[in-house]
Amino acid sequence: MSDPKNDTGTAQPKAPAKDPKKKEEEDLSEEDLALKQQLELYVKRVQDSDPGLQKVALESMRHEIRTSTSSMTSVPKPLKFLRPHYGTLKAFYQTMPDSDLKKYLSDILSVLALTMSAEGERESLKYRLLGSEGDIGSWGHEYVRNLAGEISQEYIKRQSEEAPIEDLMELVQQIVSFHMKHNAEPEAVDLLMEVEDLDLLVEHVDKTNFKRTCLYLTSAARYLPGPDDMLVLDIAYTIYLKFEEFASALQIALSLDNMQHVRQVFTSCDNQLKKMQFCYILARHGITFELDDEMVADDDDREALQDIINNTKLSESYLTLARDIEVMEPKSPEDIYKAHLLDGRASAGASVDSARQNLAATFVNAFVNAGFGQDKLMTAPADSSIGGSTGNWLFKNKEHGKTSAAASLGMILLWDVDSGLAQIDKYFHSNDNHVIAGALLGVGIVNCGVKNDCDPALALLSEYISKEDSSVRIGAIIGLGIAYAGAQNEQIRSSLTPILNDAKAPLDVIAFTAISLGLIYVGSCNEEVAQAIIFALMDRSESELGEPLTRLLPLALGLLYLGKQENVEATAEVSKTFNEKIRKYCDMTLLSCAYAGTGNVLKVQNLLGHCAQHLEKGETHQGPAVLGIAMVAMAEELGLEMSVRSLEHLLQYGEQNIRRAVPLALGLLCISNPKVNVMDTLSRLSHDSDSEVAMSAVISLGLIGAGTNNARIAGMLRNLSSYYYKDASLLFCVRIAQGLVHLGKGLLTLNPYHSDRFLLSPTALAGLVTMLHACLDMKAMVLGKYHYVLYFIVLAMQPRMLMTVDENLKPLSVPVRVGQAVDVVGQAGRPKTITGFQTHSTPVLLAAGDRAELATEKYIPLSPILEGHVILKENPEYREDS
Amino acid sequence: MLQNLETVLSGGWLVKESAVTVTISVKWRKEVFKSVKIDTSQPPYVFKCQLYDLTGVPPERQKIMVKGGLLKDDADWSTVGVKQGLKLMMMGTADEVVKAPEKGPVFMEDLPEEEQALSLGLSAELFNLGNTCYMNSTIQCLHSVPELKSALLKFNIYCLSCDQVLRKKYPQFSQLHNGVFMQQDAEECWTQLLYTLSQSLQSPGSSASVANVKSHVAVYARNTDKILSNLCLTARIHCQDSGEESSETESTYFTGGEPFARWYLTIHFVRFFWKRESNQKAKILRKVDYPLELDVYDLCSDELRKRLEGPRRILRDEEGKKLGLKANEKSSSSKDGDVKMTDAGGSSNASGKSSAIASQEGAPSDKETCLTGIYDLVSVLTHKGKWIEFDDDNPIPQREEDIVKLSGGVLGDWHMAYISMYKSRTVSM
Repeated sequence: MSDPKNDTGTAQPKAPAKDPKKKEEEDLSEEDLALKQQLELYVKRVQDSDPGLQKVALESMRHEIRTSTSSMTSVPKPLKFLRPHYGTLKAFYQTMPDSDLKKYLSDILSVLALTMSAEGERESLKYRLLGSEGDIGSWGHEYVRNLAGEISQEYIKRQSEEAPIEDLMELVQQIVSFHMKHNAEPEAVDLLMEVEDLDLLVEHVDKTNFKRTCLYLTSAARYLPGPDDMLVLDIAYTIYLKFEEFASALQIALSLDNMQHVRQVFTSCDNQLKKMQFCYILARHGITFELDDEMVADDDDREALQDIINNTKLSESYLTLARDIEVMEPKSPEDIYKAHLLDGRASAGASVDSARQNLAATFVNAFVNAGFGQDKLMTAPADSSIGGSTGNWLFKNKEHGKTSAAASLGMILLWDVDSGLAQIDKYFHSNDNHVIAGALLGVGIVNCGVKNDCDPALALLSEYISKEDSSVRIGAIIGLGIAYAGAQNEQIRSSLTPILNDAKAPLDVIAFTAISLGLIYVGSCNEEVAQAIIFALMDRSESELGEPLTRLLPLALGLLYLGKQENVEATAEVSKTFNEKIRKYCDMTLLSCAYAGTGNVLKVQNLLGHCAQHLEKGETHQGPAVLGIAMVAMAEELGLEMSVRSLEHLLQYGEQNIRRAVPLALGLLCISNPKVNVMDTLSRLSHDSDSEVAMSAVISLGLIGAGTNNARIAGMLRNLSSYYYKDASLLFCVRIAQGLVHLGKGLLTLNPYHSDRFLLSPTALAGLVTMLHACLDMKAMVLGKYHYVLYFIVLAMQPRMLMTVDENLKPLSVPVRVGQAVDVVGQAGRPKTITGFQTHSTPVLLAAGDRAELATEKYIPLSPILEGHVILKENPEYREDS
Repeated sequence: MLQNLETVLSGGWLVKESAVTVTISVKWRKEVFKSVKIDTSQPPYVFKCQLYDLTGVPPERQKIMVKGGLLKDDADWSTVGVKQGLKLMMMGTADEVVKAPEKGPVFMEDLPEEEQALSLGLSAELFNLGNTCYMNSTIQCLHSVPELKSALLKFNIYCLSCDQVLRKKYPQFSQLHNGVFMQQDAEECWTQLLYTLSQSLQSPGSSASVANVKSHVAVYARNTDKILSNLCLTARIHCQDSGEESSETESTYFTGGEPFARWYLTIHFVRFFWKRESNQKAKILRKVDYPLELDVYDLCSDELRKRLEGPRRILRDEEGKKLGLKANEKSSSSKDGDVKMTDAGGSSNASGKSSAIASQEGAPSDKETCLTGIYDLVSVLTHKGKWIEFDDDNPIPQREEDIVKLSGGVLGDWHMAYISMYKSRTVSM
């Protein structure tokens, strides 16, 4: 990190000229003058021939230096007065015979070198190694820090020369243990990272400092190049495990995507309550994980835990939250449009139903009432007076619109498999293929993120994937993809892969089959699936390669390697053999998916480079490159800010196909996080003269405000709805965005990052990326007949709540402080972690960048991060204040 | 498969007394039916009938989830892997199957193009040919004068390519900017058109109706003359409303014709003025109220007042008598423009034309109808930056508040009245 030398004032001239020196002497106080003369005497005595005298002199000198190193605001007096004699002492040192005294002098020289040594000579280290090797801390912090800096330089030098480093490492041991004892964990970690021996850390951490150490390690990991980041996280994992901080260890295991580690956490912990908390963390992360009897011995316990992982109770908690916040009342699209707030325009007219506007209303209704189980269009009782009956609304949609309408029922009953399936059932008996397709898709959506022993989605959908009608097939295939995202289900793979290589299958069936496989095997690097998709891509004819749908195939391939970095390389090589029409597109998609969520700066630069080129003929690869920048850079806050700025430049210099993708990239970067600057940029772009830029900007306004009920965005969209009231396509986008802003009436978030922005849910990101890629060609996909791609965002939908539960998993209301999270990494003492907080009682909603902490001592949370479901345990030491 | 068989067998052994019955639980919706007995020697259809009794869902509608798919009616229990205490899930409802309504809704997208526009509440008659909104709206505004309309239709000069005719006749309108015809002032167009009309409609025919039209046009021409020459204050009657609006809006010339304007009175809001400092036309955003009903009596000269007194009294009496009718009259005549833009020449389709108008058309003699000095607002010409079509036949009458809202002010940069046309309320003597 920072070079300690900069702090020590080596910049002063080495041998001050005589005149100023004299003047200095005049300024000295009597006391100082005495000290100066004393030291000069010592220096003389050191050079005395009598070893006894030498020793006394050295010891006195040492005493003087040690007693005064405490103050670091200026160079300590003894050091200052000894400076002129550094050269003398050095020269004398050379002449001395080897003895204890020589080592003594060496120690003193090492300290003097702190201020005297020329840049790069590392004399302090040199004399330290020659010295008596006594307690390193006795010379003060500054000395140790300086030494650490010199060690790292020396280490690099010796590495290049392949010289032995044992003596250095010994010193490192001393320094690390000194730092760790003195609350300077970051310095210790930095030094160990420099000398590439982090394992040493494990033996030096103790109960008091492991948390701070691990916090520093995990934060540093974000800025390290691979594979160092993995290494650092691994060490943090080991430390957490050592101190039985299992929940934190589990989080690191998840961020490493290391299932072995996850198992280990379960096997190392023997507390059922804690394991329940682990299950909640796993459930939020959205991965499929099967417990076995090694992890949990008792059958009943295991079942209870598996239920939590399977999210079976998610719907229940969500509704508890909704009841607590009092938003159960269903909302109609009109409640969202709020046309009465517009100045008397746009509302009039339209005496005839518009299929497109009805479709928009269907989506808005689905998004707004997502998970609530009731709405005013689809589930309203059939006998209500006019227009309320389900059948009626469904048939107010045209052709493929009915697919989305039927599927919206799945969204409304999200996570509630039992009632969801019961309500969707009636559509299975329809004689309209579009309705059946919607029912199939709806089944998939209901089961999104929820696993059930009976596997209802698989049982119901698998029959339909080989049906004649392609819309029915697509419904079933997407349904499976959404329901089993991340499940890596063999059975589905074996039934879906044949479709990919079926010469007779229509292009859209193949494209969505590939996407579904990509979702089911997200981040798995599964070679068989990759092979099947590659063959499907190679089989495409020249004309098919130009179709927007074909672009979903490279994306499906990319999803297999989501966040898997180098693992993509073999496939990326294969992609170079593709037809040139799709080659670059594939290349960009693979690169961006593989490095998604890593914050890898080099990859961002690479992608920016591609965007800077001017294209000659109708190439399309810059769209995914722009999205890729967002996917890679969204990992951490700093990179995010920088890429927002870079995207601004692309807007100014880029060509139209880039400008169309930029709003979407901004939407992904700030998803469910309405930053004002991004909001302004998007608002400006939403009036762009290029209608496709405007459309993606409008959709992105919805994305950044997704689930926030943000009043400013809602107002902007309302104005846009009157501005574009004659442009059916743009109005459709505005409506979708309005639905997104009020997603789940403001209880949901689309952010794939959770647990203090530390973990990235792969399925959530996959769902978002799929939807955004489809939006790259708005006209062909969302505005065409594939509008149901919008339902892919269901994969990212999660309640943005803090729900505290007691030991029986019943909701427990406790006071919590919710405020803006503060970065406390590497800060001394026990700094406040939140600022500007308010006290609420749980359940509460958490906005982007919010953090919560318990406002009572009565309970102890079992998770270090208060997000999602947190189990509270009674604090045995709690005493009620009288 | 073998494993399944084994589990079935072992399950069978456990319940010795009934080797072929297995007790399971079935979940349906939120309900759980515990201890449902399956006779594994019978086909699953029998089991489904059992469930029918429990749930009322007919067997053919039942979907029972078992491992790897749905339970078929003729499946073999042994392959299904049923065992003691197994939980099954059933899906299905006894609800009516959703049927498509016999007559599906008609969607706008299915309509032919012309009707699509109509359904949006727009008239497809005039299209913006590139900054010709000034002309379109002017014509639309004139369109709201029934007398003029009928006359125009008679003389058939309302040709399709009126923009070309206009540009030919008045070359100032063909000024180009970046290769596109420039935006022009609607007021200028208004003036020119009226002038032309007054000229061209003079000669042919000699019927009473033509005379009527002619006189109207003459009125227009005179009015507009005045505006152009800024003679507002020298008019025989003071500039109307000078007491009110002018005092608060020094820069807004609120000029108009004298109440001699028999049937129609146009008021031009001079919204643009030349800003010397910046050398450009500036738009005045100031709010200028205009009433739905304009009474110019106070501004008339004494002589005129005397003449007006009689008819006014009659009108008041009449109104007192049929208060209801008056309200109707007002709302129908004040329907106007819409929204998106323009003029709103509402009254062309005004369903209930006022009785006064009817009488006027029937017997167009000055002596029979007398002016009252009271005018009703019939149309407002406004402009909004970019528009394509505009409303003439909007079937939904605009509310009065909406019309008054067009009066400008800080908020209404884009959309405000330029010219408003009043129709005189007359009484038959």
